[in-house]
Amino acid sequence: MRPSARARRRGSPAALAAALLSLLAAPLATAGAATLVVNVETADGRGLAGAVVTVRALDGAPRHAAPLHAVMDQIDRAFAPDLLVIPVGSTVEFPNSDSVSHQIYSFSPAKRFQLPLYRGKPYPPVRFDQPGVVTLGCNIHDQMLAYLLVTDAPWYGRTNAAGAWSAEVPRGRYRVALWHPRLRDSDADLERELTVGDSDRADLTVRLSKPLQPAPLADRPHSWDY
Amino acid sequence: MSTAATANLSPEPPRGTRRGPRRGRQRAGFAVGALLVALARAAAATDWDLSLDARLVSSDANPPFMDGGLGTVRYGSEQSGLQLGRARFALTQQLGELWSAHLDASMYDDQDRSPVGVTEAFLLFRPYPHQGWRFRLKAGGFYAPVSLENRAAGWDSPYTLSYSAIDSWLAIEVRTIGLEGTLEWLGTRSGRAFDFGITGAVFGWNEGAGAVLATNGFALTDRQTPLFGRVGQPQDAPLYGSEPFLQLDHREGFYGGLEARYLDRVVLRALHYDNRADPYAQDELSDFYAWHTRFDSAGVRVEAGHGLTAIAQWLDGETTTAGEGWPQSWPFRAAYALLAERCGRSTLSARYDRFEVDSIGADGYGAQSGHAWTAAYAYDAGAHWRFTLEWLQVVSSNYQREELGGLPLATETQVQLAIRYALGATNR
Repeated sequence: MRPSARARRRGSPAALAAALLSLLAAPLATAGAATLVVNVETADGRGLAGAVVTVRALDGAPRHAAPLHAVMDQIDRAFAPDLLVIPVGSTVEFPNSDSVSHQIYSFSPAKRFQLPLYRGKPYPPVRFDQPGVVTLGCNIHDQMLAYLLVTDAPWYGRTNAAGAWSAEVPRGRYRVALWHPRLRDSDADLERELTVGDSDRADLTVRLSKPLQPAPLADRPHSWDY
Repeated sequence: MSTAATANLSPEPPRGTRRGPRRGRQRAGFAVGALLVALARAAAATDWDLSLDARLVSSDANPPFMDGGLGTVRYGSEQSGLQLGRARFALTQQLGELWSAHLDASMYDDQDRSPVGVTEAFLLFRPYPHQGWRFRLKAGGFYAPVSLENRAAGWDSPYTLSYSAIDSWLAIEVRTIGLEGTLEWLGTRSGRAFDFGITGAVFGWNEGAGAVLATNGFALTDRQTPLFGRVGQPQDAPLYGSEPFLQLDHREGFYGGLEARYLDRVVLRALHYDNRADPYAQDELSDFYAWHTRFDSAGVRVEAGHGLTAIAQWLDGETTTAGEGWPQSWPFRAAYALLAERCGRSTLSARYDRFEVDSIGADGYGAQSGHAWTAAYAYDAGAHWRFTLEWLQVVSSNYQREELGGLPLATETQVQLAIRYALGATNR
């Protein structure tokens, strides 16, 4: 599953080389590939949509996903989308489609930056070189909050409406990690190791032990004090 | 009420309002002028708001404080019919990267000294957060961070037309004219669920605050006194036109407050306010004297899912003056609880208020107690139109009513239908 319908692959030489390599590796991988299915359930047993799944191989040489170019817009004083998952090295554009100005900041260790007061699309895309969670805010409208998960995992995505995500992976041992701004379980509780063996399909179900944080309020008029 | 009784029992009502202190108004004039120049010079686009709020009123209440009465609601029985709720114009102008100017002007059409008054005007300095900490500085005239219900544009309540007794008092008499600094820790921007803030302010020109409370008591209204505006008419007893925005001594007031937030769901606020007025200070020209007013307030607002909002707020304080030559005090307290359910375009709200003013050293003058029920239904018909129907009933006992020849106990009911048309940034 792609991180966003709006994200698209970069056409850089590095990306091209990565694509060629993956083409070469494809027959090998497919020969020993299986479907990894990850199901995320809330503490009361319902599928959790939108959870970020990242998968890293524990054996062999480290692999990384190719960087992307993604767009996070600002519409009706809200980031749209309010969560993006991007591979390390990706770039993100932050246009402002509102008629009011915004002023974006992040002081997250993975990327500290500011986009001074603007409307429209005056700034070049921002590059994200470090893995980690980047929390974004607007210094004028405090109700605006968004997240970028910058990942160095070769397989990643978000669960569908039923709480499931799947990918074709070579047989081997993996570490699967989950993330979402509303999860309260510790990072250690959100990681699992599993082996994708002889079977064509490997299933992993992670049930959260703690209830989710409340979702951001969606129906509040944006002119109200936050 | 006999003249002698007035002289002995009550602080002499503020007189000479026609010649109110000019220094404050001159300074305000300069401040507004400087703000307008800054606004004119700024090249960047300006955000503006314009709204017109018309009311159809049915009331059986006594005349309100603006008409020299002891009514506890905005409109008296003689004002039943069509009324102007509020005509409002507001501007927000960015001044460079980190500063912005805010101006909020309103017209209430109720015999104020000037037809249009500025309820808030301030400069805001908001640098970027640094490692999770953010500082903000406000300079000008604005509301102290007390209210949890008045969160809509123009310090209006999105739940009811009439503000709670606490917020009505702030609207009538209390405003910060000075500097306010806030330091915030932005936990929600660091992967945590809580934000914290600490606020401190120094201010002047609010040494008349307390006179309306000690004379008329609490009321439930949405009429905001403009900065350096007047409350009531100079010729009308018992208030004789009060001026809350005075500076009679050289002691600046202060307040300090704390705020905690859980995500975007819960807000907790507490504030200690003290205008530090010298109760013996008096302006010889105008005969106004200072009111030493201090209070504590605390409140919580919870927004659950499915549009449900609950607000509870409490305020406790005291105002003291020595205009008669000896100190007289009026301890006061008020509280309310509000429940609102927002479903699509409709908002249904109910609020219960309690309020009380005691009188110490003034033989009961100004003592008041009462409670109020407010129920309101608001319908947002698209981006520009809002219709609100409100029923408000206040049951109160006021010593002053007896002095003026009536019964101390009164039950006042006011029903309003408001139609508001709004244009501008908050509607885009």
